[in-house]
Amino acid sequence: MTTRAVSRRAALRRIGAGAGALTLLPFLSDEGLAAFVRIQGAKAAPALKVLSASQYATLEALVEAIIPADDHSPGAKEARVADYIDLLLSEAPDDSLKQTWLDGLAALDAEAGKRFGAPFVRLEAGQVDALLTDVSRDEAAPQRTPLEAFFTTTKQATIHGYYTSEIGIHKELHYKGNQILAEFVGCQTQDGRDCPHCGQKA
Amino acid sequence: MPTPADPTLDLDLAAVTDESRKLAASIKPGTAQWDVIVVGSGAAGGMAAFQLATAGIKVLMLEAGRMLDHRREYRTMEWPYQSMRRSRLPPDHRPIAVAEYNFLDRPYGNNPAYDKFKKVTSYAGNTFTRNWVVNEKEHPTTGTPYAWVRARVLGGKTNFWGRGALRYGPLQFKAASHDGYDVDWPISYEDASPYYDKVDVLLGCSGTKEGLVQVPDGIFQRPIKLNCVEVAFQRTLAKMGRHYIPGRAGVTTEGLLNSKYRTRCMGRGRCGRGCDISAAFHSPTALVYPARDTGNLTIRPYSVVSEVILDGASGRAAGVRVIDANTREVMDFTARVVVLGAGTLDTTRILLNSRSAGNANGLGNSSGRLGCHLSEHLMGPRGSGFIPARIGTEPTLDDGRPVSPYVARFRNVTDRHPDFIRGYHFQGGGGAYEYPSMAHDLPGFGKAFKSSVRKYYPALLSIGGFGEVLPRKENRVMLDPETKDAWGIPVLRFDYRFGDNELKMAKDMADSAEEMLKAAGAENIKIDREPLAPGWSIHEIGTARMGDDPKASVTDRYCRLHDVPNVYLADAAPFVSGGTQNTTWSILAMCWRTMDYLKERMRAGDV
Repeated sequence: MTTRAVSRRAALRRIGAGAGALTLLPFLSDEGLAAFVRIQGAKAAPALKVLSASQYATLEALVEAIIPADDHSPGAKEARVADYIDLLLSEAPDDSLKQTWLDGLAALDAEAGKRFGAPFVRLEAGQVDALLTDVSRDEAAPQRTPLEAFFTTTKQATIHGYYTSEIGIHKELHYKGNQILAEFVGCQTQDGRDCPHCGQKA
Repeated sequence: MPTPADPTLDLDLAAVTDESRKLAASIKPGTAQWDVIVVGSGAAGGMAAFQLATAGIKVLMLEAGRMLDHRREYRTMEWPYQSMRRSRLPPDHRPIAVAEYNFLDRPYGNNPAYDKFKKVTSYAGNTFTRNWVVNEKEHPTTGTPYAWVRARVLGGKTNFWGRGALRYGPLQFKAASHDGYDVDWPISYEDASPYYDKVDVLLGCSGTKEGLVQVPDGIFQRPIKLNCVEVAFQRTLAKMGRHYIPGRAGVTTEGLLNSKYRTRCMGRGRCGRGCDISAAFHSPTALVYPARDTGNLTIRPYSVVSEVILDGASGRAAGVRVIDANTREVMDFTARVVVLGAGTLDTTRILLNSRSAGNANGLGNSSGRLGCHLSEHLMGPRGSGFIPARIGTEPTLDDGRPVSPYVARFRNVTDRHPDFIRGYHFQGGGGAYEYPSMAHDLPGFGKAFKSSVRKYYPALLSIGGFGEVLPRKENRVMLDPETKDAWGIPVLRFDYRFGDNELKMAKDMADSAEEMLKAAGAENIKIDREPLAPGWSIHEIGTARMGDDPKASVTDRYCRLHDVPNVYLADAAPFVSGGTQNTTWSILAMCWRTMDYLKERMRAGDV
């Protein structure tokens, strides 16, 4: 894939897939960036710009539920995805985007309260699982409740924040590119050998 | 401006803009004598200047944008987490999104939807190209939707081009003889192929000899291997009689003895940000700087050319009118010859705007064909899926190369498709790219979701089609009678639409993508069927087509205006038809041929 083709492809994904939610997010300013670099570098306490401490805690629990730590690598919490979203919201061109997120977090807590009598952050793993299984059931469907739509928006932002982080790229995906090579290797069947990577025969 | 948070992001361009202003201020009409004026510094302008300057001809190159600090501006190895913009743009900056091209009114840049943004760029604007592509607010277009990507900076779009280096073959030059539609080029592949050979050797071209008439072989450096998913897909296609071949790249994989500016490919990928070792062809390091080293090339940046000036008495061009992009000073530069290489559509715009008594419709337009026959490649139909051989395997290094493989055209080569003429090819490949874009399409959440991203990450294969748009007289550009750009120059109004042949071809593109992915046993096949906005390919050609009959064409077979013997076109404006091949390598080859002819004429004293 040429890089230009990738950007075209990315553009396509933006309309075709759930990544539509991503385009709603604003861009970060220099100041926002500096703050984020400090946060991530020093494992510092969050310096919140939009979310309250409790909203932040709810969002952090949600993004970690979407991409959790597992045996393989840390999750969205350690990759500071909630901080990333807070900073993006702080630079929204208007208040409606912020409001969507604040409403979404409130709706999540309301649903948790209704079903389990506790806010989202206090739910046990099985309860989180049950709640998110319901709101993600018809992910691809166009007709959805506000909470279902909020889940998808958060999921897409979490995917972007996580898989562009150092943790996501290196620890989770084991991405091996962006290295100086003597020569691109490719599939070893082309050198007349069985390929140890894919198992295809020469 | 606040303190830059990240020096890789907030590039300080003061040094290069200062240099550009000083250069512009020091070069005025009369400060020197030039034999030839070259307008533009991309593939066309760069090659023109290189050919002329190395032959001892004094050249003035006029670039509308600034000079380039290629060492700092090509940020090839930057990781996304080095900035939390994560490849996003600054808050006041916005590229036009794919769907917006069709539903927002033109001019795009003035649309109220973008009021809150300071800079609006074509879709090609991203964190790496944003300082190069033009602001649509300053560069409006009107008429039908068109995704016109322009870059005003030394080297133009070659700073971020896709590196596909393919030749037109006999099926392109003699397309009309093949299927009866429209006209042949006035020249043949035999005329062009020696120039493609020269370009391959001068600039470096990676590829494999395949013996395919639909995309002829060149003089290749070390080819780029296919990765594991691609080998699996290649085996499937071979059974279908289709050719899935290593991509041909305008990149030196073995180095070039002729260049002190360029190094061989180091397999890092990310070439579209600009290759900071210039293994990829970029006009500044490959052509413009070497031309300047001869002492025969003067580069004047910030020089917006509005028109070619005609000497009324002789009927020849006297020079060009320049508006300084910063000072707005208007000045006329003169020379014996004018070479236009501003890019197909901007070259045509300059000619359309060169109006004088007897040339009310623009210079070189006695045929009335100037602006007509706009063509490019239809894009959009595409497919992706997960190839079983790689599902659940440990990722390998799959993206350390400049281009993806290529499915050579298979329609209307030896057979005849019942629904459409001409054809299309696919570009694409797969494997473990840095960003797992397919994660956005995978369902669920939690550990199951995370492990399914891992499972499918090395297995994605994705191909996208490029289809020939038939050249048609009615697909055209003209000057807008009212709208002007930031320098007061009338803008282009597009009247360009895909026709029946293109839409039938697009359907077949999507169908055959699906057919091939199914044959490969791919899981989770996704097919996009809709064409992208016109112009998306950035492969625009035509609008000043060449021909032997001055009544039906704008230039002769040497890309010289029929009407004005000392004006030559160096870009793709004279191209008659464009097959499915990416255009840059043909611009370079045709420009070299045109410059050889011009040198002969100058030697003979004709100009």
